[in-house]
Amino acid sequence: MNSTEFALNPAYYGIPDQQQLKDLRIWSDHYHGFAGGLKQHKEMMFYVERMGIEKVISLDIGSIEEDALVPSPIDNEEREILEKNKNKILGIIRIDPGFPNESCAKMERWIRNGPCIGIKYLLQKDGITCSHPNSDPIVRLAAELGAPIYIHSWLKVGGTPRSPGGGRSPGEATPMDVAVLAKRFPNVPMICGHSGGDWELGARAIRPYENVLFEFAGSYPHSGSVDYAVNELGADRIVWGDHGPGRSFATELSKVLDASLSHSDRMKIFGGNYRRTWAKLFRDKGIPT
Amino acid sequence: MSGGSLAAGIAATLPALGNKTHDNNDFTGSNPGIIDTNVNLFKWPFRRMKYGETRSLVAKLRKHRITKAWAGNFEALFSKSINDVNGRLAEECRVNGGGMLVPFGTVNPAWPDWEEDLRRCHEVYRMPGIRLYPTYQTFDLNHPEIPRLISQASERGLIIQIVGDMEDSRVHHPIVLTRELSFDPLVEIMKNIPKAKVQLLCWNERVSNELLKKLISETSIVLDISWLESTGALGRMIEGNRWSGPEAPVPVERLLFGSHAPLFPVETAVIKLFESPLTLEQMKAVMNVNAGRFIKHV
Repeated sequence: MNSTEFALNPAYYGIPDQQQLKDLRIWSDHYHGFAGGLKQHKEMMFYVERMGIEKVISLDIGSIEEDALVPSPIDNEEREILEKNKNKILGIIRIDPGFPNESCAKMERWIRNGPCIGIKYLLQKDGITCSHPNSDPIVRLAAELGAPIYIHSWLKVGGTPRSPGGGRSPGEATPMDVAVLAKRFPNVPMICGHSGGDWELGARAIRPYENVLFEFAGSYPHSGSVDYAVNELGADRIVWGDHGPGRSFATELSKVLDASLSHSDRMKIFGGNYRRTWAKLFRDKGIPT
Repeated sequence: MSGGSLAAGIAATLPALGNKTHDNNDFTGSNPGIIDTNVNLFKWPFRRMKYGETRSLVAKLRKHRITKAWAGNFEALFSKSINDVNGRLAEECRVNGGGMLVPFGTVNPAWPDWEEDLRRCHEVYRMPGIRLYPTYQTFDLNHPEIPRLISQASERGLIIQIVGDMEDSRVHHPIVLTRELSFDPLVEIMKNIPKAKVQLLCWNERVSNELLKKLISETSIVLDISWLESTGALGRMIEGNRWSGPEAPVPVERLLFGSHAPLFPVETAVIKLFESPLTLEQMKAVMNVNAGRFIKHV
């Protein structure tokens, strides 16, 4: 069966069919296809096509999983894929605020002088999160380049006594860390990834900072979660990602399809906001929008 | 309205594939309905549910072509008045279930005289099965009463559903610390009670590759798909080709549709059917054939 064949009609079951998904112009800001190597990426693209996704943004370019500043053995292949497939795949590099100079040098190589569009904060091995002052030169350079800033953030319950965020991993930002950084750079757009894990508290943490976009990706789906975020933040501040292959398109698409939204707001969340926020960069780099 | 203007237009929109599937089957008249083996009624203790009112949930399920839904009661998680929980569930399904909802009461084998709750589920409320929540009801499957419960339920011909997780433990309210749970003891229990009809719900975080192999090869346990994760997971699980996690292939006959609504969007489980390139026979098996067969013998 190829990626356009379906044994039954999805629309009969109250979900969009492939053409309707394509019409939504879905951009995923959270693609992990390369994290498992080139073979995994190739297999993933079958599902990307099948689910009508217009463009995916890889968050795993230019480093190994364990260290943001150690090159990946498939860097050259990734660079070639990104250069040849701007209409389908974009790339983001990981940086580490524990090493701001090295991070900025990597940004120069991969963004100013390469095919990538932005940066990602994940878990920093030395425990420094995005809110640390070391981030300032990195964020200033991202602002100069007009580059998206993606921040992995989670509020994991744990600790003694138990509290939201008390169970976070070393170097893992919470939405409160994102808020601290956003307050220092009110004119620089950035993404609070994973809706902070706990979306009810995450949205509250970043609510005052209008330069923060709130991302739904990489968590179990909760009915009503996108409705809540739209009510608290507005549809213009929500972005979406598939988080595949760790998560299913079913999980991630359904969060937005479950929400009571106008078609126009649904399109904003599924890609319109991303295209609008970083429109200048896309124009400058010749990336089709 | 869930699905918003997009979904509103769906019924009136010609499907992208016209009125035929790739294998030239007519859509009209050949679209199977879905049996949802995992929905919940009443109040989730920690958040108002978008489809928390029974009638709105039924309408939502109907929109996605669910024809029957096996319903548990959120109140089972914390209530000690088990019979009250089960009685309200049965009444709600009868009054507001629109002919769709099938009540699955609960029994807590760690509490005194659970046998009477089991009897009432069967004889008074005419339920076809029971649903256990060990992580909230604070027993594990090594509890000495578990084999007795499964044996007695099986003698009555009842289905036994066992829930792994209700919610991602990373985002629990901090006051909640649910119990650890291992499904491992089920392998021996099922060998000793071969006619037991056991289904695991929301099981995926608690079943290793080795255990999954045993559950498939040594027991007749069936599984719902509500917590099945990863891209194309349903098809890849059937093939034994998952990206990570358990690699054991799961025969399609063991997989039953489950949405975990209203906590999860109904759309999640429905889209799983289409995300993987399943054959029509595979889709039908998950949508209703397996569940219909499973409950038929009750």
